[in-house]
Amino acid sequence: MWYYYVVRSISERSTDVGLLVLTSLAEGHKHGYAITTDVEGLSGVRLGPGTLYGALARLEGNGLIEALPAEDRRRPYRLTGAGSVALEEQLRSLDRVTRSGLERLRLAEIPR
Amino acid sequence: MRRLALLAVLTYPLAFRWRYGDEMRALLDDEPPRSRTVLDLLRGALAAHLRPPASLGGVVELDDRLRASMSGVLACWVAFAAAGSGFAITTEDAPFSKAGNGHPLLGSAHAAIQILAIVASLALVAGALPLVVVALARARHERRLRLLVSLPVAAVITFAGLTTVIGLVAHGQRSQATTGSGIAFIAWGLAGLVCGAVCVIASRRVLFLMPVARRRLFLAFGCGAIITAAMVVIALFTALYAIALSVDVPGLAASGNGPLHPTSVTISLVLQLVVMLVAASLAVTTTRRGWRAVAPRTARS
Repeated sequence: MWYYYVVRSISERSTDVGLLVLTSLAEGHKHGYAITTDVEGLSGVRLGPGTLYGALARLEGNGLIEALPAEDRRRPYRLTGAGSVALEEQLRSLDRVTRSGLERLRLAEIPR
Repeated sequence: MRRLALLAVLTYPLAFRWRYGDEMRALLDDEPPRSRTVLDLLRGALAAHLRPPASLGGVVELDDRLRASMSGVLACWVAFAAAGSGFAITTEDAPFSKAGNGHPLLGSAHAAIQILAIVASLALVAGALPLVVVALARARHERRLRLLVSLPVAAVITFAGLTTVIGLVAHGQRSQATTGSGIAFIAWGLAGLVCGAVCVIASRRVLFLMPVARRRLFLAFGCGAIITAAMVVIALFTALYAIALSVDVPGLAASGNGPLHPTSVTISLVLQLVVMLVAASLAVTTTRRGWRAVAPRTARS
């Protein structure tokens, strides 16, 4: 039971981080540090190395990103075709949710 | 903090470290780590252990996977044996033997634990001995290996010396349980843990540094699997013993235990059981990973 909850909480968080990493790589190939600073600029979230490489490993395992030859010890990553499709789908889905949410908030007239 | 962060990187699974370790260390060079970074790395390591990424299959060679599994089982066995020693010390006195004679379940659970502990220890010797022979032979020619091999020997000799001294002192004041004897007991336990940690870390380094014939690795891995199975069954019997003691002999179960009597026997047994279960779970995980690497080869041949 505890195992299920730990894995679920990790999975839910990693989905968000994965989206941020994919969005960062949509601009072009980047290595770990460049992804961290770009994601911080995009979202205000500073990814720790454990979170970042956990997400990179999962995205690579799912074929959404691929590693390029290492430059010194830093290895750049880039989006694959599948990664580009997955990112677009997720962003469109988020966009639908964002639009609907804002529209509902506008209509609800909740006092602020 | 950087040193701590680098140590946290070492807590990742072997395959993860081999694939991403250099990059993670480079990132730590780019960005000075803080305490939050260390926590993030430890959390990431836990996630990687619980749910290994699919991209890491095949990153580690079979021999190294076996080495990692064996040293993992050894580390788990050391932690398990520490808890097991606690169990043995807790239940060694005459009232427990009497309770064991009066209640068959208690007596048979205790006997089963002792028999399985002997089986696991024999398996440990059988698996480790061929590797120790190779390590000693190579250590004669390589200075680094010589140093690493001497570390566990020195730790064991120091711990054995400490045990003898404490045993002699305790024998001198057999009936009195003083604060001093309690503190000495705690110090002895901590020294045992340090000795175990030195043995585990040094033997792991030795195992990864020296070439070993695959049949020796297979033998040691098989012995590791036996130790893992023994750990699981011992933990189950310990749970059975703790339950039976609480139900059948509640007075004895509620009596004070440990140096300076900070807890009851039941709480001590539960704490020992928790350590045993965690160690056994980790041993099962590392043995399964080794088996996944071995099984396809066995099927092909």
